[in-house]
Amino acid sequence: MALFQRFEAAIDAGIGRRRLGYALLALIIVYLLWFPNDTSQSNYAKTVFISGFFYAIMASSWALLAGIAGQFSFGHMAFMGIGAYVAGLVARDGLAFLTAESISSVGAIVIGTVVAGLVGLVIGMLLLRLRAAYLALFTIAFSELFRIVMLTEYDYTGGSNGLSLRPLLQIADVETARQVEYYLMFALLIVCLLAMYWVANSQVGLFLRAMREDEDAASALGVNVVRYKILVFVFTSMIVGLAGAIFYSDIGSERIIPEQLEVLQMSLIIAYAVIGGMESLIGAAAGAFISRYLLEATREVVITYPFGLTTADGSNAFVWEPGAWRYALFGFVMVLTLRFMRNGLLYPFITWFSGRDLVMKETVAKRESDEDHAARQGADDE
Amino acid sequence: MKHSKALFVSIALVALLALAPMGLVSADGHCEFDDYTIKLGGLAPMSAPGAVAGGVAMDWAFKQAAADINADCGVQIDGVNYMLEVITGDSEGSPERGQAVAERLILEDEVDGMVGVYHSAVGLATMGIMEENGIPTIFSEPWNDNVSANGIREFDGAPPRFDDGIDHIFRISPASSMVGSVVTDWLIALGVEDVVLIVENTDYGQPAAADEQARLEAAGVAVSQIDVELGTEDFVPILSRIQASAEPPDAIRIVVTGETSFNLTQQMAELGIAPTPDTICVTNQIAFQHVQYWATVPDGNYCAFNRVGIIPSLFNDTAIELNAAYEMEFGDIVPSFGMASYDAVFMMVDAMERAGSYSDAAAIVEAIEASDILLSQGRYYFTYGAHNESMPADDSMPDFMWHQWPDPIVTVMQYFEQGQSSLDAAVVYPEVYQTHGTAYVVPGTSP
Repeated sequence: MALFQRFEAAIDAGIGRRRLGYALLALIIVYLLWFPNDTSQSNYAKTVFISGFFYAIMASSWALLAGIAGQFSFGHMAFMGIGAYVAGLVARDGLAFLTAESISSVGAIVIGTVVAGLVGLVIGMLLLRLRAAYLALFTIAFSELFRIVMLTEYDYTGGSNGLSLRPLLQIADVETARQVEYYLMFALLIVCLLAMYWVANSQVGLFLRAMREDEDAASALGVNVVRYKILVFVFTSMIVGLAGAIFYSDIGSERIIPEQLEVLQMSLIIAYAVIGGMESLIGAAAGAFISRYLLEATREVVITYPFGLTTADGSNAFVWEPGAWRYALFGFVMVLTLRFMRNGLLYPFITWFSGRDLVMKETVAKRESDEDHAARQGADDE
Repeated sequence: MKHSKALFVSIALVALLALAPMGLVSADGHCEFDDYTIKLGGLAPMSAPGAVAGGVAMDWAFKQAAADINADCGVQIDGVNYMLEVITGDSEGSPERGQAVAERLILEDEVDGMVGVYHSAVGLATMGIMEENGIPTIFSEPWNDNVSANGIREFDGAPPRFDDGIDHIFRISPASSMVGSVVTDWLIALGVEDVVLIVENTDYGQPAAADEQARLEAAGVAVSQIDVELGTEDFVPILSRIQASAEPPDAIRIVVTGETSFNLTQQMAELGIAPTPDTICVTNQIAFQHVQYWATVPDGNYCAFNRVGIIPSLFNDTAIELNAAYEMEFGDIVPSFGMASYDAVFMMVDAMERAGSYSDAAAIVEAIEASDILLSQGRYYFTYGAHNESMPADDSMPDFMWHQWPDPIVTVMQYFEQGQSSLDAAVVYPEVYQTHGTAYVVPGTSP
């Protein structure tokens, strides 16, 4: 403990925590930029990272909506699905006076994103005058409705066989294609995070936090609560719509199926955000990325026996395939997180690097000192 | 302290002595194996939202096939014996996860071939991965027509994936279009005049019902359709409508899958609607799993069902042994996708042995096309492929017949005794497979 305090003091006296945090973040970004060029990594590893970036966008945008704005929506996967399905259908069948041939892959993705935003706007205008519980209930119902429509309108959507989106990239070489896909998804994550940080740190972000803490008080102070709720709802709907349309355009997967929109999948997004930290965009993104990586890495757990020992059948390792158990374990981690670290597992690191814990300590110390002072003054007065 | 140290050393020595022999045991009693182990990847849904029960059966079948092959000196190529390992990858029933797992199996585990796949969506999504990496693949369960048709024509506007001119994908399960006609042909042959279709509101149920309706109406049979949602528990209101009609229908065909079909069949039987001497009951193929069926549908005697896969009366020695092993493990009859998964592993190994290589994909694909092997579901061969017959230039042969096993057996079976094993149930249609000399066992009678 003393050693850690000495380390803290040295950092505070030297580079400073915030700068160290930025340096660490820069290192991680450099590593992620270099990763696809690591020849020891297979395309599979890149696929896992691409999937991690996608879920990082999903979780961080949900964190903006629920953690920062306090709007508990379960419709995130549905809006992602709207983006993907609309992009796929438009690219295949065209739209009104536009023929399918006249719509490029990028155009289809843009249309998917806009439609996701428009649906978010309609739902937001209908619902966001209501309090949190109704939004949660409605978005669960909406998600199921959308999933069932995608399942039953199989003539258009492919039903449970899924809808294959027009590939966004046409690169023949598999290695190059995967590299480009990797950078595209990574860039999308960075852009989405920057946009969300811009919103969260703007005056709008301040209003959103005020609404989350006390909607009535915010409204009394002149914040147009409904307008900002709708704004953040539409904004996050467009972000996930865009992410879905790009991811399923053969970047992360070549087809989307209705089962991807199930409440179970939505609960995974919430779990990623909770584990990483609901009130921190970067925390939720990191939580999602790490969780997805671990869920993939624990598909098969291999423990090699020590000293070259082998079993009767010649095996030198114990192999455990946890299957669905890894999700159970994941759920257990979420329960523990909610009970003991409500701000997420990454929160202590984020507060330490941001120097927020110093501010907190200073505030507490000042308050205690003020209270002591007041108490002494009271005693003297007596 | 000295005493506990001695105790620790003693325990360590005993542990070492106990573990030491493990390293001395030969991997196999009678065969000399090469150091290299041939690996096959098996894709199956082992967790939600996939069909986990199906995945478990397929995983068991992969492992059983590998165990049986290894017990017989493994894969024998040019006089060298190789151990076989089938690594199951959990597709979770999701195309996205299926693609990732397929890549892991191919690139990390470096498998030499792929087998399995349950969901069509996973099959369609993973085909590109197998093609890109040149991995010979035998699908054992997806039904979507495009799974095999993709080899000769593209779909959904996707660009061609077969730059090397080789299509690596084969299928030994039936294509959807091969399954649909058997029940309707049977009902028409029985001379029914009106049929009620109870149909699940999904992309399986609705097109299947539309197809059956078209066939029945073309034969002059009146058809009415009632849609239900999967997961519904109480069907009494729907069934009451049928009960209230002036004349009972000649047949009620349940186009509903899984547990829901069990609930529906039981409630229909309980209400005395079907099976009766007046009304034929045709339920879902899952009724073949007789342990589950009788546990949930105790009043379901005399119901008929379609069976995809070989019928028990045609079980050969391989099927009988496989079924016995499956029953010992799960207490039920081996499902068709379990048999197909078992056979797919053997087919791949057979092709590698004939190709004289476990890594030359082109040679293995050519060998699979030339397959002629008797396994648990019968004789496997492929009519159409790059080295077989060319597909007719006209439309006389549907595209899905490319790299498609042409002979999956689809029959209609019927229980005629309460609690009967499906091994003993009557095969009533097609006539060539009839086991009890009758096309229908009227309720209350014996064949």
